[in-house]
Order: sequence, then C-alpha cells, then structure tokens
Amino acid sequence: MVRYLVTRVGQAIVVIVLVTVIAFLILHLLPGGAARATLGKEATLDQLAAFNHEMGYDKPWFQQYFLYLRRLVTGDFGYSYQLNQSVAEAITQRLPKTIVLSLLSTVLAVLVAIPLGVIQAVRRNRSADYVITSLSLLAYATPIFFMGLLMIILFSQVWPVLPPEAPQGFTVGEVLAEPAGLVLPVVTLAIVTIAVYSRYVRSSMVDNLNENYVRTARSKGLPEWRVVLVHTLRNGLFPVIGLLGMYLPALFSGALVVESLFNFPGMGQLFWQAALKRDFPILLGVTVVVTIATVAGSLVADLLYAAADPRVRLRRNVS
Amino acid sequence: MTEPLLELRDLDTEIAVRRGAVHALDGVSLRVMPGETLGIVGESGSGKTMTALSIMGLLPSGGRVTGGEILFEGRDLRSLPPDEVRRIRGVRMGMVFQDPFTSLNPTMRIGAQVAEPLRVHEKAGRAEARERAVEILRRVGMPRPDRIAGNYPHELSGGMRQRVAIAMALSCSPRLLIADEPTTALDVTTQRQILELIDDLREELGMAVILVTHDLGVIAGRADRVAVMYAGRVVETAATRELFRAPRHRYTEALLESLPEAADGERLYSIPGLPPDLSQPLTGCRFAPRCRHVTDECRAADIPLTGDTHQFACLHPAANQDQLHARVRPERAPAAERPPLLSIRGLVKNYGQVSAVADVSFDVAPGETFGLVGESGCGKSTVGRLAVGLERPSAGRITLDGTDIAGLSGRERRRMHRQVQLMFQDSYAAMNPRMRVDAILAEPLEIQKVGDRRARIDTLLDQVGLSRQVLERYPHEFSGGQLQRIGLARSLALHPRLIVGDEPVSALDVSIQAQVLNLMRDLQQELGLAYVFISHDLSVVDYMADRIGVMYLGKLVEVGPAGDVVRNARHPYTRALIDAVPTIDAPTVEGLTADGRARERIAIEGELPSALNPPTGCRFRTRCPLAAEICETEPPLTGDTHQVACHFPLRPARASGAEVAHQ
Repeated sequence: MVRYLVTRVGQAIVVIVLVTVIAFLILHLLPGGAARATLGKEATLDQLAAFNHEMGYDKPWFQQYFLYLRRLVTGDFGYSYQLNQSVAEAITQRLPKTIVLSLLSTVLAVLVAIPLGVIQAVRRNRSADYVITSLSLLAYATPIFFMGLLMIILFSQVWPVLPPEAPQGFTVGEVLAEPAGLVLPVVTLAIVTIAVYSRYVRSSMVDNLNENYVRTARSKGLPEWRVVLVHTLRNGLFPVIGLLGMYLPALFSGALVVESLFNFPGMGQLFWQAALKRDFPILLGVTVVVTIATVAGSLVADLLYAAADPRVRLRRNVS
Repeated sequence: MTEPLLELRDLDTEIAVRRGAVHALDGVSLRVMPGETLGIVGESGSGKTMTALSIMGLLPSGGRVTGGEILFEGRDLRSLPPDEVRRIRGVRMGMVFQDPFTSLNPTMRIGAQVAEPLRVHEKAGRAEARERAVEILRRVGMPRPDRIAGNYPHELSGGMRQRVAIAMALSCSPRLLIADEPTTALDVTTQRQILELIDDLREELGMAVILVTHDLGVIAGRADRVAVMYAGRVVETAATRELFRAPRHRYTEALLESLPEAADGERLYSIPGLPPDLSQPLTGCRFAPRCRHVTDECRAADIPLTGDTHQFACLHPAANQDQLHARVRPERAPAAERPPLLSIRGLVKNYGQVSAVADVSFDVAPGETFGLVGESGCGKSTVGRLAVGLERPSAGRITLDGTDIAGLSGRERRRMHRQVQLMFQDSYAAMNPRMRVDAILAEPLEIQKVGDRRARIDTLLDQVGLSRQVLERYPHEFSGGQLQRIGLARSLALHPRLIVGDEPVSALDVSIQAQVLNLMRDLQQELGLAYVFISHDLSVVDYMADRIGVMYLGKLVEVGPAGDVVRNARHPYTRALIDAVPTIDAPTVEGLTADGRARERIAIEGELPSALNPPTGCRFRTRCPLAAEICETEPPLTGDTHQVACHFPLRPARASGAEVAHQ
C-alpha cells in the first residue's frame, strides 16, 4: 500500500511538472507580452525593456521556467501587478469560494444523478427511461452560459424568487450567509453534471443488473428493492467514484462560466478576468492549482475506489 | 403413490429477440418426486437451462413462460401472486449456478451472502443469522467456516465458491435444489468433491435435486432418472440405468455414440449438421434433419412422448437391448523409432515468483499425437505457448527438427513459425472480428510471403470441409464447430508439421466435438501432422493421443503410451484424476470399478497449493495419500516407455515389463 502511494504521488508530480511546462510555454508564446499589458499603451520601449529585464522576461524561456519552478516549490506563485497583490494571495482569497460552489453542485448532482440512473436502469427501455434520457441529453447539449441565462430569466425575472447575482461576500462564511444567492449558480453548475453522472450510473447499473450475481440474489427470493439497492447499487457506483476525480477539470471550466455569469468572486472569475487582461502570473498560478487539484482528485478517487472495492484492495496487496 | 414435488405440464417458454421470439421450450413435461435426483441432459440450446430458469422464475429479460403449468407442492406457481412465488423461490427451492466466479456478489462478505435468506425470509437477527450461516458453511465442507464468513468471494478458489453457492441455496432448507451445470467450470477432482457433497446433502436433508448438465458422465453417476432434451423438448426420459443401458430415442443413441470414451474404432460417430433454429416454426421430430433413421412420417407431425416409465418421442426407436458393453480399444501401434520432431528438455518458465513450468522434458515424434493433461494451473498451456515460441522459456531447450528454437531470431524465427502452429480453445476470441474469413486465412500467407494465396485457401477449405461461401463472412456468423474448422484451416495454411492445440474442443458440444476430433485425425493421416493436444478432458485425450503426459503444478508426473497411462496409471495423481472422471461405462453404473476388480481408489482432497510457493520435493505430496518422508526429495521421472515421477508408484494392474517400483 505504501509503495503504491509512493508511485502514485511520484506520477502525480511528473504530471504537474509537465502541465506547468505546457502552460508556461503557451502563455509565453502569446503575442503582446506581459510588459505591454502591465505598463499600458503609453509605455516607451525603454520602459518595456526595463520591466522585462527586472522581471527576467528577457532571459531564454527555459531559464525563466526554472526560475518560476524554483519559486513555485517555495510556495511563491509570482506577483500580479494588475491586481497589485501576490498570486498566492489572490488565489487563497477566491479558491475556498470556488470549492464551496463546486462541492455544493457536485453533492447536489450526485444526490440527483444516482436515483435517476438507478430508475433508468431498472425501467430500462420503458417510458421513464426514455424521458430521463432525453432530458439528460438536452441538458448535456445545452451550453452552460445559456443554461445560466435561462435560469436567471426564469427564476429572477419571469418568476422572481431568486436573486440573479451570487453573494459578494469576501469570506466563505459571508457567502454561505446568503444561501438564496447560491441557488442559481449551484443548480446551473449541477445540471450538466447530473446529465453526465446519470448516464454513467445508468449504464453501469444496466451492466451490473445483467451480472450472474444479481440472478443469484434473485434466486434467494429477495424482494426486488433489495436486489437493486443492496446487491447491485454498490457495485454499480464504482465507475462513478472514478469519474468524480476525472471530472474536476470539467467542473472548473463550468465554474469559470458560471462565476462570470453570476458575478461570483471565485477562482473562475479570477481566471476569466486575468485572461482578458493578459495577467500571466494569475493565469499560470490558477492553471497550476487546478492541475494539482485534478491530479489530487483522481488520486483520492482511486483510493476511495480501493477502499470501496475489496477486489482492488487484494490486487494491491499482491503487487 | 406419493405426490410429485414438482410437476411441469406442457411448459412453453419464449425469449423475445429483436425480430420475433425464440421458442426456448415447447411443451416440456417433467416430474420430480420428493428426495429423488432428476438429471436433465442436453447440448447447448436444448432448453435444459431454460427449464431450470422457468421453474425458478429467473428467465433473462425478454423471457417469459407462455403456456403450461408449474406445479410445486401441488400449487401452480404461474397463478400465485408474485410475492408468494418469491417466497417459495427463497425458502422451498434453491439454485446453484454454473459459474462460481461470477455468481457471487464480489463486494459482499461470504457470511452476509449466506445469511441473507435467513434474515429476509426467517427474520433472523444479525447474530443468529451469522451463527447459522457459519453452521451451513461448515456443513458444506468449508474449512474454518467462521473465518471464511468474513472473506470476499475473490479470496476463494472456484470449488470453495461453489460450496458457498450451495450453502446459500440451502440456507432455508429447501425441498428442491436445482443445480445448473454446477461443476462445469471446475476441475475434475473438484467436480467430484462437489457432486458428492450435493449427493450427501440430498440424502441428509431429504430434498429433491434437479441436476442440469451437458455431461452424460455426471448424470450417469448421480441421477435416479434422466430427461434428455433436444431443441426445446424432452425427447426421452427413463431411469438412469435403463437410459444408458438401452437408449431408445435416436438422438440419445447418437449422443452416446459421439462420446470419445465410446469410440470402438478409429473414428467417432458424429451427428451431422446443427440443431434447428428455434425462432422458426417447426413441425415433426426436431432431430429428423440429422437422424440416420429418418423417414417421411418423422417430418409430418409432432411426435409425443410414449411409454410408461421409459418414455421416448421417436417413431423408429433403437432396439430395446443392452448397448453397453466393455469397449475394446484397439491399441495403436507405437511410433517407430524416429528422431523426434519436437524435443523439450528441462523446460522452466517462471513469471516473477510464480513457478508455472518446472523442469519438463518430453519428445514428440513426427506424425504422433502427444496429449498433455492436467487441471487448471498445472502449466500445460504455458508449455504449449513455449513450444510454439510465443513466449521464451526461463531455462531449458526446445528443439524442433534438431534446431534450438529458443535461440532463434529474426528470419529464422519466422521460418520456424511455419513449422509449428497453434490452435485455440476459443477460436472466436482468437480471430479479429473485423476481418473476413478470406483475410483471416490469407494473413499467415502474406506474413510468410507465400505465393498463390487463392489456390492455397481453396485447398485449406476443402481440407477442413467448408464451402467457398464462408470466405465472405465474418467470424460472428459461425457456430463454434465451424469456427474451430476455420481456426484449423488457419493453422494449416503454412504446411506446419506440428500443431499445438490448447483445449481445441473444450468449448464444443459432444456431437460437434466428435466432428472436430474426426477432422483432426483425418488431417493427421493425410498430412502426417504431429499434434500436441492439451486438454483437461482425459477421455478426449485418451481418444486422440498416442502418448500422454500428465502435469501437476508445473511438473510432468507421468508420461507413457495413452492406453498404459489411462488404464494402468502409476502416479497417484494420475490415478486420482482418472477416478474423478465421471463416465457412463457399464461398471460405473453398476457401482463397480472400471476393470471389474477391486482396485485402490484414490480421491484427493483439499486445494491445489499455490504456484507462488510450491511444495518442495514431490509437488503432489501435500495431497497424496501415499506421501512419506522421502517425498520431500524430488522423485526423478524414471522408466522406459512408461515413465513416472513417484517414490511409491502404483503397481501396474497387469505386468508391463521392466519397470520396478523402487521403494
């Protein structure tokens, strides 16, 4: 088990380093450059050169990269001149709020998607299955910003029960103090996730319901609810655990849109505004944090998987 | 007369498919008396499993019973409310399925699975249910049942899992146990343990058993009465002894003749053609298109079962006379002294810590069939893969025609592949599903750059008895027997001198198996092929092989002429293996030993040791009834033509020459 963990963490570090290289390269190959973006249109060439020299931007990219990496290891993500604060500070202010948003929407999505998927699998190829399938495909195909706008129109204008803007609180506590404002962003973000998860749950449950062990359970004369909920559900949910980890990047890109749309002061909005202003240190910093979150997420998902499935536990002991 | 426990009256079952329906059962009528064992035997698609599933109400999706009655303890299950039927299924009946590897819930502890019916049906408390579950596990022969109760299924061997499945079925003391191919996925020695367990439990608990199987041998040894099914109908039913002594229906007769152990001469009787398509309407005897004795009347109308205790649905039944006689097998002439085609010396293969093959040596002469038998995990398939060069040995020499193939590379290695080809158990899995048969057959010719592919493919099709039309079709369009023919054609494409067949007929029904075995023999005569025939099935190997090698846990424990090894086994393991094979020979039915004399029978108990850490010395010693201290040193393979690796070899039943048991 320890050996497994060590290898997995090693792999995770390699992935993170590779992602930083790619992100670094892409951002530095973009035209315009940080100096112009920071100093504005009026800056002279001398001023630009001086800025670039001071920041080390006139060095070859790989030197810059190693410099960046060395700082990164000590927790120094760089400094955003446009926000006039350190990247680390900007992220730590907003990250918890994005986590709250993502967590709430994921919990909601899982709570809705599992029963939906189970119902579809049990009523396979009957009307309930077809209706839910159509709705999921519709939700899946709708762009998230359109879904968000639709929500605002429906629930803030046509039937004004909820505020169109997310809470503007500075801390997590302040944000949570206004639950009404959280409803629309959380639901918008959850809808697409529900569509994806319920498809997974459905197909995994359908596969499992056709397994021999389910027939054995029926041969014991168990009531059908027991066959489905006690025997099949647990085995049917394993793929969903794996999906939880893999789904983090998609969740973040969803958060990016939702936060901008509902003016929610989280990491997605931070990234969005930084992209508009070519605030490279922020863009890079957020990319690294999301990468770490994704890699950590899939690691945690794998460990959860191992904890839930005795067969995986054994395989690990042998190897 | 007592009331039957279960009676099926004119049962019809249909399975809905994309277009129309498959009439899986058509007018099936059967009776099971309390405490008796009814065997249902038939080939795949005969409806034997559908009968069992119809009784249990466990038909696959799309399946339903469309007519008839299922009378259980006098009540028709079809007219009872679903909850009542479910309760009956859980309490009064129990079922054991074929595949112990998939039929237990992989993420539920054994104890919980066995205790579940008690908790649901008898409302037993957690502690009480667990205690009773442990007791049931002990009853089915589980060592350390209280520990096993906390295990998960994947931590147990196949035989142990099947014991768990039986325990589960028995937890509420049912009156009827339905066992659907309960031992088909298991090795013979384990099969014997499980069948004996079912027998003991039946007697002890006074329950009735329906034993569903394709294996006539299993039925012969265990059932009181037998029903033979073909294409969704019962064609013959009789007391077991009566049925095997004098089968009346021509299908039953042909089936018994197709068995390799029934071979009188060189060729097996093989039933031509395939069973009918049950999605089409059928009239008349369903066996008529394949029957030797068919007349126009047979096709005209449905033929009912007639007779009193021995019923059969046949207009031209076989004569009611004893058809069991001691089979006299012509001894094959030993291969003349020729330099071996394939010579294996000191072959070793380790996968990490696992010792798969440990110091195996044998020769195969040109034109000879060498049979390699053993149970799963004994290393026989690994030997096959090493012999064709698919894997490299950890140590040892493999010489083909005098050249060591382990040392070859590149061009020479490719040439070697022409000489040796492999034939698989599952030909479907061994073919690219996206390739048509013409491409499949042309591929080896392309790789080896052999000219005039078209002519060569035509010859190959002729040799394996397939028409030109198969060339434009894809693998999924063929039946198992046809696929084996295509697989054989592909193996033959490059004029090999040796074909290594890894369980080439194990997935086939008896009648189809006979067709393929005959074909393999014909081709051997015609082309002078040598075979290494790997199989777990002793009777098939006995029929096919000139010489047999028996493997146990990576070691070759006995080698010799086929007849000698099978009828005068000298290694205790070989003897145990042979004793475990259920056969339909007359003496077995009578309950005597095979050669009619008292003979030391050997039954092995327990589980195969792990190849990760095999026993020192003789690897069989941990399960051998004859083991002594000396067995901790490894016995060498000794003897002249019949070699055995044992410190206490069994005495030959008839003196066979120079070998002396060295004790």
